[in-house]
Amino acid sequence: MNDFNRNRFVEFGLRFYILLSFAFVFAPIAASFVFSFNSDRFPSIPLGTFSTEWYVAVATDPLVWEGLRNTLFVGLFVAVVSTILGFGAAYTDFRYRFSGKSAYLALALLPPTIPVVILGLAMLAFLSRINLSGQSISVIIAHIVICAPFAMAITRLRLSQMDPDLEAAAWNLGASEWSAMRHVIIPFASPAIFGALFITMAVSFDEFAVAWFVSGLNETLPVKVLGFLQGQVSPRINVIGTFVFVISMTLVIFAQLLLTGRTMDARAASDD
Amino acid sequence: MQGNALVTFDGVIKRFGNFTAVQKLDLEIHKGEFLAIMGSSGCGKTTTLRMLAGLEAPSEGEIRLGGKPINDLPTWKRDTPMVWQSLALFPFLNVIENVEFALKMRGVGATERRRRAGNWLERMQISEFSERNISQLSGGQRQRVALARSLVVEPEILLLDEPLSALDAHLKVRMQSVLQNLQRELGITFVYVTHSQSEAFAMADRVVIMSKGVVEQVGSAQEIYRAPRTRFVAEFLGSSNIFAGKVASDGTLETATGKYRLPRDVRGNASKSAATLVVLDTRSYLSAAEPGPEFDRVKAKVVGEEFTGAMAKIYLETADGSEIRVQSGYDELADLPMSTGQELYVYWRPEDGHVLPIA
Amino acid sequence: MRRSISLYGLTFSLPMLIWQLVFFVAPLVFLIALSFWTVKNFKMEPDFDTVNWVTMYGRSVFWQSYGLTLALATAAAVITSILAFPCSFAIAFKLSPKYRQWAIFLMVIPFFTSYLVRVYSWQIFLSDNGIINGLFAQVGMGPFPLLNTVFATMIGYLTLTFPLVVLLQLFSLIFIDRTLIEAAHNLRCGRIRTVFAVVIPSARVGLVIAALFCFILSFGDFVSPVYLGGGDPTTLSILITDTTKSGQQWPRAAVIALTMIATLLAVAFAAVGFAYKGRTK
Repeated sequence: MNDFNRNRFVEFGLRFYILLSFAFVFAPIAASFVFSFNSDRFPSIPLGTFSTEWYVAVATDPLVWEGLRNTLFVGLFVAVVSTILGFGAAYTDFRYRFSGKSAYLALALLPPTIPVVILGLAMLAFLSRINLSGQSISVIIAHIVICAPFAMAITRLRLSQMDPDLEAAAWNLGASEWSAMRHVIIPFASPAIFGALFITMAVSFDEFAVAWFVSGLNETLPVKVLGFLQGQVSPRINVIGTFVFVISMTLVIFAQLLLTGRTMDARAASDD
Repeated sequence: MQGNALVTFDGVIKRFGNFTAVQKLDLEIHKGEFLAIMGSSGCGKTTTLRMLAGLEAPSEGEIRLGGKPINDLPTWKRDTPMVWQSLALFPFLNVIENVEFALKMRGVGATERRRRAGNWLERMQISEFSERNISQLSGGQRQRVALARSLVVEPEILLLDEPLSALDAHLKVRMQSVLQNLQRELGITFVYVTHSQSEAFAMADRVVIMSKGVVEQVGSAQEIYRAPRTRFVAEFLGSSNIFAGKVASDGTLETATGKYRLPRDVRGNASKSAATLVVLDTRSYLSAAEPGPEFDRVKAKVVGEEFTGAMAKIYLETADGSEIRVQSGYDELADLPMSTGQELYVYWRPEDGHVLPIA
Repeated sequence: MRRSISLYGLTFSLPMLIWQLVFFVAPLVFLIALSFWTVKNFKMEPDFDTVNWVTMYGRSVFWQSYGLTLALATAAAVITSILAFPCSFAIAFKLSPKYRQWAIFLMVIPFFTSYLVRVYSWQIFLSDNGIINGLFAQVGMGPFPLLNTVFATMIGYLTLTFPLVVLLQLFSLIFIDRTLIEAAHNLRCGRIRTVFAVVIPSARVGLVIAALFCFILSFGDFVSPVYLGGGDPTTLSILITDTTKSGQQWPRAAVIALTMIATLLAVAFAAVGFAYKGRTK
């Protein structure tokens, strides 16, 4: 760019503002990490001594373990089903044109924009009407509604990098629609499919509001945290927060590696 | 000439990191001239224009506008309006608002603004579209809006960065005459950057040919066409056959394909060093039989032919693999055997040759 | 494209359609029916009675909450947009592509950290003997009441929406044709003026959408107003959770939820209309 239609102070100020913004965004995350190792029961400055007692307290709490089990169980289910639904919808958008397509796409993408309290209430009322509330299955159902759109978006993005003639070329070489799907579309989309698995699991892992409404006694870990919040100050929240953060970030980084790494491979391969 | 210069580039160098886009540019742009800067992509022509507009800062040297140094003047304090290749019309403003933009920035009142912008729309024959969105206009109409938007402030100089490259051939020719007429009527300086030889030669009073950040030649279309200064220019124009060799003691040029006489004006003072002879393809002829002694000649095989309206262009290859072109009317070609691989004589009058000043 | 209906195509299209019809559309539609049900002896009964609507709309508490929620969400949208803009502007225009990549990556991270934990963490910062007041105490000031204030609620809303708003703004700013900015400079438009005359109008759609998302999220959030704002005064989302979780007053909660959806739809249509105003295709 042009280097002299610039003002040194403005440049500096704007860069500094970026730092400030990140400081604001990461302050609570960092604080939660720091205070999870703090010995004091009531968080304050200056810090107490380094301690892992809150980790021990969490690790020995059977309720937390139960919550974790529920969360993982729900997360795995949600990830698999959401990814299947999302892939189907992404492929539909990629390949077909039909009347009412925009309504179809709205249905496939809209749920995350509905406030969670409303979604939670609607799910609770509806699921209890069909006798599905208060179980893990109700959380799974609700989370799939929220997560499938993410899977759809991720897969659609990947498919948009694919030459639409590729599939036709496979047919032309004698592949049926099904085998073209198996040998062309799915291999091409596989990084996105795995990415979607991880991302949807991470989303489910963090979601608490809808789960809180519909879970009944089968609380997931974030719902437990909500319960802790309603109680009193407890450094255990920091521990669980740090734990959830590490898990989620691992999932996200896996997804990132899959999505960008493979894309680069593909690009490098297509370049020569 | 001194009093006539509107813009002076004085030893201007522009580097981007390790890459030098413009190397030591000395150039004067005269008041009221239509100057084209021509070259292939990456030659530094656009960078030169952008430095003049104040969109890039020179790394070294000085640019003067009307005698005053403008190196440190940000673009919004110069009066060097530019027409972009993409036209850069504001999509969120309609036609007349686009044209009014520069006046608004100068604090011209609303009614005066509208009046002056309206005048320009009329002048460019696009008044009827004044309330339209940019997206509703055709390519040619957008071109006119972009011109009106830049000219509404009545500048002394207008910069144009390949503004016609997006148009189809037919529209291009029409816009060329619009631009030329406009420049004559207004009497202001146009600096026009292009990679197209036909655009540059058709419109410009003077043409600057650049390559790899260096000015290869400055001159009128005629001068450049008749007497290219460097081998690059001759090759870039693509209208000459080029023979490089050594000057022998008898004043002829010894090349890989034969011995050629040099034109009379340089024959006397040609040194015994390397020289490059160029002959226009329109002054080169073909025959199957050996031409007379008053001509110089080279044997070459037909490689292909290209028909462009009234003329045909024949591509041939000499024994050492260099390309030879001959441009000719169909009548002269009618009796020649033209199949691929056919060997023919290419010949020319020695006085039609031109020796490059810089070999 | 080819045959419009085939077993093959339906295998991929139908699962999502069916799932979202049954578990997304149906519950929302059921909410409408539910709002006309009646509660007798703590038991809900299918009915067609406008009593819930009449009761809720007759309460001044409801309208106070409504006004408050609307005001809070609007304020959040405006404040977040204003605070986020210099950040997204700087990332879009002042960072090299490599650092921009990193900035985007860092802005995505908060989406995968528990919002609850971050809100709890803000309690640590904002409480009377928390980090901020601790710092003030060092210089002999305070403590200032920060927690359980509208200010704290806003911090919560910012925590929820700031990264998203930055990202949405960023994506519209990155795609601005740079030559437009150069053209504005070239036509005598100075640095700051260009931001208002060219950058903001060019990115209008993205900026409005970002503000809209901020509004939607803040409007429906119940965590920040409860755990940072102290739950008083009550927002609509608190009203819903209270009405749902304590007792069987789901039909009334449905009335609130439907009112919220109607409001959000109206705001969304107005915002999108404004975003695309004056544009033709």
